[in-house]
Amino acid sequence: MSGRDYLGEFEHIVVLALLRLSGRAYGVTVRQEIEARIGREVSIGAIYATLDRLEAKGYVKSQLGEPTPERGGRSKRFFHVTGKGIAAVNRSHRAIKTMTEGLDLVRSCS
Amino acid sequence: MFQAPFVRPPRIAVWLVDLFTPNKQSESIPGDLLEEFSELASKSGVAFARRWYWRQSVKTVAHLIATGFLVAPWLTAGTVVAGCLLWPVFYGSTQKAVVAVLDKYQVYAHIDAHVFWLIYALLIERLVEPFIIGCIIAVAAKGREMVVTMTLGLVVGASNGAGLAHLMPHWSEANFPLAPLLLTTFVSPVMFVIGGGIVREIRSAMSRRPSATHC
Repeated sequence: MSGRDYLGEFEHIVVLALLRLSGRAYGVTVRQEIEARIGREVSIGAIYATLDRLEAKGYVKSQLGEPTPERGGRSKRFFHVTGKGIAAVNRSHRAIKTMTEGLDLVRSCS
Repeated sequence: MFQAPFVRPPRIAVWLVDLFTPNKQSESIPGDLLEEFSELASKSGVAFARRWYWRQSVKTVAHLIATGFLVAPWLTAGTVVAGCLLWPVFYGSTQKAVVAVLDKYQVYAHIDAHVFWLIYALLIERLVEPFIIGCIIAVAAKGREMVVTMTLGLVVGASNGAGLAHLMPHWSEANFPLAPLLLTTFVSPVMFVIGGGIVREIRSAMSRRPSATHC
């Protein structure tokens, strides 16, 4: 199944948040971006659980920044999407688009 | 020059998050929470920020526990089985040691003192043995101390509870020692977790960077 894996709903949202934030994506900004755009309050634990899973799959990479005093001397962990991650987003988008083609979703719901 | 006082997040919540955070995320998760807490405290007030920190901490700990199971299910299962196997090895050892000491000093000549020490040896055994087993399996499961000791506590607690439920119908027929039974059922599982928590705290203190302790 590897190479044909589709992203889960929350994985998809997190990867898109990383792409939007480009070079300044770390736990706080990713969490705030998701909350601001889709109004969903997520925990920092959920963000890191997803990011670690995506990193294990090779879809994202991380690096530690410099420690800062406002974080109690702790470092930020910055994330960026790899080529494999972008391919996975495209694959998932295509799958959704193909599956929704010809469906009248508004009428189906009513 | 006026400087705004540094507001600290709730200590217990900070401690809980530190306890369950794996080493890989020991910088990022507590750091992110503190950064957002400080931001919220200056924008929306300390009370709001504290409530937010508690909410985030509880959700984060729940996620970390669930992730701990999913990421390393075999390590968790293996250490829990090892903990269950260690139980009979340790079982009764404290009591035997106390009996040997009591016999050596011939305390049985004073029956009240003999019974007193025997009962308390049994109670101490019920606390010390699971604590030591919790420490041992936490040492073996580096980075997942809390998840494995909590799982072991749940497994032992469930089996003890089932045993207690099985004994209930015969409760009046025999004179069961109530205190040790309740201790085994409810306190022993907690002692596993306390053992795991202490190992985790020692490991965290040893790995903490000097820069973090100055801030």
